[in-house]
Amino acid sequence: MGFSISVEGGQGEATIKLVGELDAAAAPQFKEAIEKLAVDKPQRLILHMDQLEFMASAGLRVLIFARQKMGADVSLYVIGSRGPVLNTLKMSGFHHSVYLQDTYAPE
Amino acid sequence: MDKLTLPAVLASLAELRRYAREAAAAAGIEEERSYQLQLAVDEIATNIISYGYKDAGPMAQIVIGGEITADVLIITLEDHAPAFDPRTRQMPDDDELSKPLEERTIGGLGIYLAMEGVDRFDYRREGERNLNIFEMRRRNG
Repeated sequence: MGFSISVEGGQGEATIKLVGELDAAAAPQFKEAIEKLAVDKPQRLILHMDQLEFMASAGLRVLIFARQKMGADVSLYVIGSRGPVLNTLKMSGFHHSVYLQDTYAPE
Repeated sequence: MDKLTLPAVLASLAELRRYAREAAAAAGIEEERSYQLQLAVDEIATNIISYGYKDAGPMAQIVIGGEITADVLIITLEDHAPAFDPRTRQMPDDDELSKPLEERTIGGLGIYLAMEGVDRFDYRREGERNLNIFEMRRRNG
């Protein structure tokens, strides 16, 4: 199945769509995308995960990296996450720090 | 089930998950619990490849095997890296897990997810081999 990522940058909102299986082999692509987007200092980072079928802790670590790289002021949105991927986010306590939404609605 | 030997590289993770997925299907384990098993195998294998075999050459290998008994599915990962028992790794507690992301430390999360996801986890050192053993009941409850 593999992994693919598409990115749309901007100063207000930056959007990343994650598709497939995000394991430790794929995580560097995700991290690189975050590093590039961080240059524009977006206020909101929106991660579309409705087609993300698998996510290991390597993916979670990139989310922690995003928050630490972009600063505590950036709002993180995880959109469309479901099933076991959503379960992993919750088990890891990420629901305390990111907005989990079915469709994107800025808070 | 026949054992599968793979190069100890991150590109082998997908194949390791596929093995666990097929074993779970053969054992009649439902999808949600199959995913938990695949995640556990993926996390422990990632640790072996990234840390255990950090200084190993390109010949390093990881072996996955499966055994289905009347009650359980047992998946075993074998490697020849230095001895490491994942159960000794300090894992995040509730306090750590509820911290905001900017204050989170990144260690231990993968092993935590692995341990939480399977019914039983065991580790043994046999000679020069590490054995990481994952057990799932074939019927939930």
